[in-house]
Amino acid sequence: MPAVEIRHLVKDFKTSLKRQPLRAVDDVSITIEAGEVYGLIGPNGSGKSTTMKALLGLVVPTSGTCSIFGKDSLKVDSREDVGFLPENPYFYKHLTGAETLEFYGKLCGLRGAVLKDRVSELLALVDLEGARDRRIAGYSKGMLQRIGLAQALVQEPRLVILDEPTAGVDPLGSRQIRDLILKLRDRGITVFLCSHLLEQVQEVCDQVGIIFKGKIVKSGRLQDLIAIEDQTEIILKDAPPELVAEIEALVKRSGSAEWLRSGKPRTTLERLFLRETSGDES
Amino acid sequence: MTARKSIPFSRVRRLAVIAGHAFTQLVRMKVFYFLGFFAVIGIASNFFNLPQQSGPEALGDNGMDLLRLIKSWSLGPMTLFSVVMGIVSTALLLPKDVEDRTLYTILAKPVPRLDYLAGKLMGVLLLLFVSLALMDLLMVIMLQVRLSIVLEVQASLGQSRGWDAAAIESLRQDTLAQGPTWALQGAVAAVFIRSAIMAAIALLISTFSSSTLFTTVVSFLIYFIGHFQADARDFYFEGGEAGTSAASRYLAMSVSLVFPDFQLFNVIDAVIQGKTMQLIQFVKLTLAGLYYVAVYTIASWFVFSDKEF
Repeated sequence: MPAVEIRHLVKDFKTSLKRQPLRAVDDVSITIEAGEVYGLIGPNGSGKSTTMKALLGLVVPTSGTCSIFGKDSLKVDSREDVGFLPENPYFYKHLTGAETLEFYGKLCGLRGAVLKDRVSELLALVDLEGARDRRIAGYSKGMLQRIGLAQALVQEPRLVILDEPTAGVDPLGSRQIRDLILKLRDRGITVFLCSHLLEQVQEVCDQVGIIFKGKIVKSGRLQDLIAIEDQTEIILKDAPPELVAEIEALVKRSGSAEWLRSGKPRTTLERLFLRETSGDES
Repeated sequence: MTARKSIPFSRVRRLAVIAGHAFTQLVRMKVFYFLGFFAVIGIASNFFNLPQQSGPEALGDNGMDLLRLIKSWSLGPMTLFSVVMGIVSTALLLPKDVEDRTLYTILAKPVPRLDYLAGKLMGVLLLLFVSLALMDLLMVIMLQVRLSIVLEVQASLGQSRGWDAAAIESLRQDTLAQGPTWALQGAVAAVFIRSAIMAAIALLISTFSSSTLFTTVVSFLIYFIGHFQADARDFYFEGGEAGTSAASRYLAMSVSLVFPDFQLFNVIDAVIQGKTMQLIQFVKLTLAGLYYVAVYTIASWFVFSDKEF
């Protein structure tokens, strides 16, 4: 049974009385298998968030259906297995980090020692143990995103939906969230995320869908979509220039392949930043 | 991850979680500061120096006037506080959750929308109940202290003037009726019921309103209209005989159906005057309160269940 099944989803929003309704999502179909990380990418206003909200029952589809592990999204019980982190979330400022997780845990039926353990476990997972008794009002943007991710995981859902999880977060915080998503994947949790930060999506997703003006214009396995089928990459370490020249000559002699270029691969600016600010070599 | 899957969760417990959270949220907004203000008013009324108080006139109605004054000065701020808090805090909670997107995270959990609405309302009602209980306690203490002084003065003056025991006892009974009676507790309960109705109305308006200000203003308008609801109802029932137009009658009928009848709560003024509240009156008020709160909450649910975020 797929974790997420969206079939021919259409969502129109009323504008003014005389004007045509605005079609935010136009015949979108997405299937996400359990354990996959699916990235929905697209420019602002392309229908990403509306698709997610329809999946969570926060908006009612004009037509089409959404289901989570086979349960209709418009039914409350479909939410038992879902955690959701909205874009730019703000939690109750009067609560501390631990109280926030306790509140959401109680809403999901957790209590007593189980809840207490779960709260401590999640605070450790998102690296907020030091801020557990600090009011949310004093949290930075990155901390808010991480506590948001923790609340999404509180009832140990099988599906986590993340709407722009790294929006407005600095590269360090962004890396932490990326690592958390990878941890979730390792634990077999299905992740459905939407973002317009393409590099991040590329790093974590198994499947992607590109949405534009409400329509899915491309979808499939990430590696299949981005592979350049007629090219081959060879990366050498400590290769002397003579060896490179020899290989190039061999390729030219073969006549069956074209030597395109050689040179030193470049790291990304993000990796450079992370290495300089945290000693991270990855 | 070591946590077990969530156990089946009773609806009552979930309502209690949401209500408890709404209560904490309001308490941390420091609404209880009002209690300090109330205490100052109460104490001031207790020491209010009536010109007639110091003479032998304290023997008769003036001693009782003082007790009436304390009740009036206490129940007035209680009504003001509970209605303002009931409306404003309810009007604030829902839009704030939408604006901060905390509503998304709550409704993305297995929380039915009715539970969310009812939980929020119950949180406000809990706040009103606790606040009124504390104010009631203050009022009863002040009233009891003053009552014992008045009774003492009356007894000694009555004896010095040679009144017979029956006359002194009769005056004593009249004075006791102005003290902390069950009827007075009924009046405090009526204040709570009225504020609960207003909170439920504010909840309904906030489900379709786009701003806290709009919800607050409209709720206060309904509060005032509620005091004329009974007049509209009488106009409807008696209108035909009076020869008024059908349109006017239907307008009056719609007013009497949609708006609560707050003239039922005039009993509070009667209690301040020392009259008693019959049990049947209290039961009527309670049932009317339950009816209005249930109707407005269900109406809120109808609007909120189809709302998109």
